[in-house]
Amino acid sequence: MLSVKLKSDTAITAALGCGLAAGWYGAASGLLSGAAGNIVPAAGAIAIAGFLPAILAARNSGQNAKNKPRPGESMLKQLQALDQHAGINIVDSDSLLTEVNDHLLKLTGYSREELIGQHVRVLYDDEARSVTDLIRGNLQRGLTWQGETQLRRKDGRTLVTQATVIPLFDADGTWTGSISARTDVTETSALLAERHSAQTLNELRDDIWIVDAQTEEFSYLNGPAKKRLLMANEEYLGKSSTDFSLAHEIEAVLKACRALREKGEVTTQFESVLVDTPMYISIKFLPGPRGAGRYLIVSTDISHRLEQEQRKSAFISTVSHELRSPLTSIKGAMGLLLSGSAGELPDKASALLEIAHRNADRLILIINDILDLDKISNGQMDFEIRDVDLVELLHEADRANAMLQQRFGVDVKITGADEPVLLKTDPNRFIQVLTNLMSNAYKFSPPNGCIILDIKDVGEHVCISVKDEGQGIPLSEQGKIFDRFADMTNSDRAAKGGTGLGLSICKAIVENLGGTIGFDTQEGVGTTFYFNLPKSEPSSNAIDEIDVKRIA
Amino acid sequence: MIKLLHVEDDADIREIAEMALSLSGEFDVVQCETGEAALAYVENYTPDIVLLDMMMPGMTGRQTLEKMREKPEFANVPAIFMTARAQHAEIDELLQIGAADVISKPFDPISLGDQIKAAMQKAGMTIAA
Repeated sequence: MLSVKLKSDTAITAALGCGLAAGWYGAASGLLSGAAGNIVPAAGAIAIAGFLPAILAARNSGQNAKNKPRPGESMLKQLQALDQHAGINIVDSDSLLTEVNDHLLKLTGYSREELIGQHVRVLYDDEARSVTDLIRGNLQRGLTWQGETQLRRKDGRTLVTQATVIPLFDADGTWTGSISARTDVTETSALLAERHSAQTLNELRDDIWIVDAQTEEFSYLNGPAKKRLLMANEEYLGKSSTDFSLAHEIEAVLKACRALREKGEVTTQFESVLVDTPMYISIKFLPGPRGAGRYLIVSTDISHRLEQEQRKSAFISTVSHELRSPLTSIKGAMGLLLSGSAGELPDKASALLEIAHRNADRLILIINDILDLDKISNGQMDFEIRDVDLVELLHEADRANAMLQQRFGVDVKITGADEPVLLKTDPNRFIQVLTNLMSNAYKFSPPNGCIILDIKDVGEHVCISVKDEGQGIPLSEQGKIFDRFADMTNSDRAAKGGTGLGLSICKAIVENLGGTIGFDTQEGVGTTFYFNLPKSEPSSNAIDEIDVKRIA
Repeated sequence: MIKLLHVEDDADIREIAEMALSLSGEFDVVQCETGEAALAYVENYTPDIVLLDMMMPGMTGRQTLEKMREKPEFANVPAIFMTARAQHAEIDELLQIGAADVISKPFDPISLGDQIKAAMQKAGMTIAA
């Protein structure tokens, strides 16, 4: 029961500003006071809360005594009902709690002793405490405040209430505090929020599933997901994969969910086909109490993206092919002229033809690199893993670069290659990487410099390195050396004949072969590029992993 | 003289190849612009080796070879493909269906003759000095 003393009933009249009858309070006092002769403003306040709409309406319309609520048996019952229904508290002018009813204690989990004398802010959620200042401001101006307040229970849980806070004044019109009536709307609020979220999620193009991690039962499907999985309304609720007609496809996704938890990870992404549609599937494990949790699965239709990528690839492939045919004629004609098969050429003409020929070669390299990069970005670069002797391949790459060696006047030493080094890898891609690194080493070596090709066993890996005596890589360029067109920002490097794509291709190839690539450099001394290849066969999913990273 | 049938739709490339193969004086070159023309030609002519462009309007190089192989006298004639789309997988596939070699475009005109002779020897043919 709530009991508050007030100087006089006129205080409530003042508080309401609407001339409530004194008898009305008298009737209420019997119910709520217990202290004879005391006016019981709490009862009045409860009545205020309970009859607030009528009271406010009366005040606003200027109707007074004519429409006053008449206390009586019915009124007392209403007051009782209100006391049962709403959490009520009264604060003094310092906002300290002076009275609370049982219902408020029940809602908040506090005892009366814990609340009385405390600032009303103790009831509010941390994030909502500023609202108390707003309410107080209204009250001081004699205004009633109504709205949603976010309280915090003693156990820390949030309590959303719909509150009406009315100012109290004494007979002299001095503001003495306020009375609040609060209705618990936490569940309603949560339901509304959930419904609002569900409506929003239905508007998305992506499919959203929420599945219980323990039972693997579905607890949510948004509109697009229901449509794809052939589920009407909420019939999916509590069902597991085997209850769906598309059980097989759902099971594949749930398998990925289980694998995620087994690995102790929280998120995973992959591409898969779901109901004949290529999808990008993203799974997140949302942990719950006591080992429980839910999987949030978001699937995006990527058929349009894949189609565009295929078109782009086809375009690049066609353009590259179309470029190669005229280049075959250009390069062939120049090659024949330079060979003297069309007669002796003047020296100057030969020199000019050399330049043209060399640049035709460079154009071919660029076309090849663009094709390779396109294949890498689409995960279509083909790899043929077989047993190879890396030492033999080292010599082969050296022979393939003989022309460059001659052109740049650079010596090559091969070290660590006394015995065969057998490994399972793609020989063509190995030579491609090595040739690229060697070609860079030639370009950046000083005349009469020396390049050292080294191979060594480093435990579970074999390390192959190419060391030059060039100028080294400036610190400002080191971080982006494996980026596409990284070396094209430097006109000097561009003049050396690089495409700016080679190192990024090398990195992609080495990673696809399950290895790593890096470099050590010292300005003015030289650079060593190295790559490690695993002695064990490259994992079959190395390419998939790269692909996933790309997507991510 | 090595009787070589060259099938290539690009006139400039045909000219370059003819010039390149004439350098050594070892090749007797017949050229056709399409697979269909080559098939018509081989009704009365059996070369020692065929050099086929892969991508041609109409019949591709591969389809042309398959048709040629239907003729018994063509069963053992080595074939070399020329392709501007030299993918490892594609090269392996062509070698598996019986190609003696696969030459990538752009090719080196100076070494073209040697490449063809090497492929013929690899296919077990004896080349007269």
